[in-house]
Amino acid sequence: MNINDILHLSTYAGKIMLENGAEAYRVEETMNKISEAFGVEKPDSYATPTAIISSASHKGETKSVVVRILKRSVNLEKIHRVNDLARNIKNNNYTVEEFKEKLKEIDNEKRYSNKVTILFSAIGALSFTFLFGGGLKDAAAAFFIGLIVKFFDIEADKIGLNSFFSTIICSAITAFLAILSIKLNIAADIDKVIIGSIMLLVPGLAITNAIRDTIAGDLISGIARAVEAFLIAIGVAAGTGVVLSFWINTFGGL
Amino acid sequence: MIIDVVSAFIASFAFGIIFNIKGKNLFFASFCGALGWFVYKISLKLGNSDTTSMFLASIALSTYSEIFARILKTPVTTFVVAALIPLVPGGGMYYTMYEAITGDIITSLEIGIKTLASAGVLSIGIILVSTITKAIVKYRRYYKI
Repeated sequence: MNINDILHLSTYAGKIMLENGAEAYRVEETMNKISEAFGVEKPDSYATPTAIISSASHKGETKSVVVRILKRSVNLEKIHRVNDLARNIKNNNYTVEEFKEKLKEIDNEKRYSNKVTILFSAIGALSFTFLFGGGLKDAAAAFFIGLIVKFFDIEADKIGLNSFFSTIICSAITAFLAILSIKLNIAADIDKVIIGSIMLLVPGLAITNAIRDTIAGDLISGIARAVEAFLIAIGVAAGTGVVLSFWINTFGGL
Repeated sequence: MIIDVVSAFIASFAFGIIFNIKGKNLFFASFCGALGWFVYKISLKLGNSDTTSMFLASIALSTYSEIFARILKTPVTTFVVAALIPLVPGGGMYYTMYEAITGDIITSLEIGIKTLASAGVLSIGIILVSTITKAIVKYRRYYKI
């Protein structure tokens, strides 16, 4: 048994989970579970949204490793798969190599294509507009705004723009297009159109994880995620606010 | 009402796609979103305040999530995230900002505090259910039931 390999294996699993939006305690638990399943006597790990520190002690030998998490996205399917895999090591009698292959398979798995994601974002914006009491015309406007905004979001992600800034840009675009749709008489109620569309930018996962990390006792991660959620919310307000107030001040009302 | 619940279902479904939930988990997650919104609307109809309704909805959706996460052997987040999105007070955020830029600071503060209360109450609901679930699991393990 090579303690190095096992440590790298468990941090690899942890890295996949953190990059795709898992809670800190789940990452730590999974990493320890993997190390224990492969026979390490005393594994320990510490995960935050930006880094993993992990160590393993076995028969008087101690190793440790630090892994930085640089990109973060949301892919709940990967978390589910890694979680499932780590629980069933003993049942399936995986060797270290087999387990590594399985992890690579999960890591390289394709998500829904960009076209599908963009289409469903638009459908999401449409149904949110209905949810908040908008009419058919408002929903149609939100549908097209959703298409454009998600497209920009994905493009911004490609060139590595930070999420705070891209949120501001996206919400500014949302507000501008909403005003445009009112002026062109496509939509009737600007509030409903904007609210329906900005729901796509709302920090749902950050809020959920902030709560779950905090109650699990991972205060550092909890605070980090809460700040992330708060910044994104501020970003949405700032983006729409700048465009709306510019419009109101220049053209005197909506 | 029916249109609302169906819209909530579709909205959660769309967010399931954005968050890359796959297979049958996707349907259970969307159903969770519809359930949350249904409870919220029913509670409003019964005359409860917005904040109370939000609280009840958050309890309903997180109970559902905790149960189905154990049945389907998947992280609880899979369901909670997609279902929580429709309830997140995006409208409150928008009106707070809107009143602030049009110069009505008092109204902006009023709506802002209401929005914060809604968000806080959502998280308290989730905290409550998940803490109780953890306590039950620990209790059963401790007494080997």
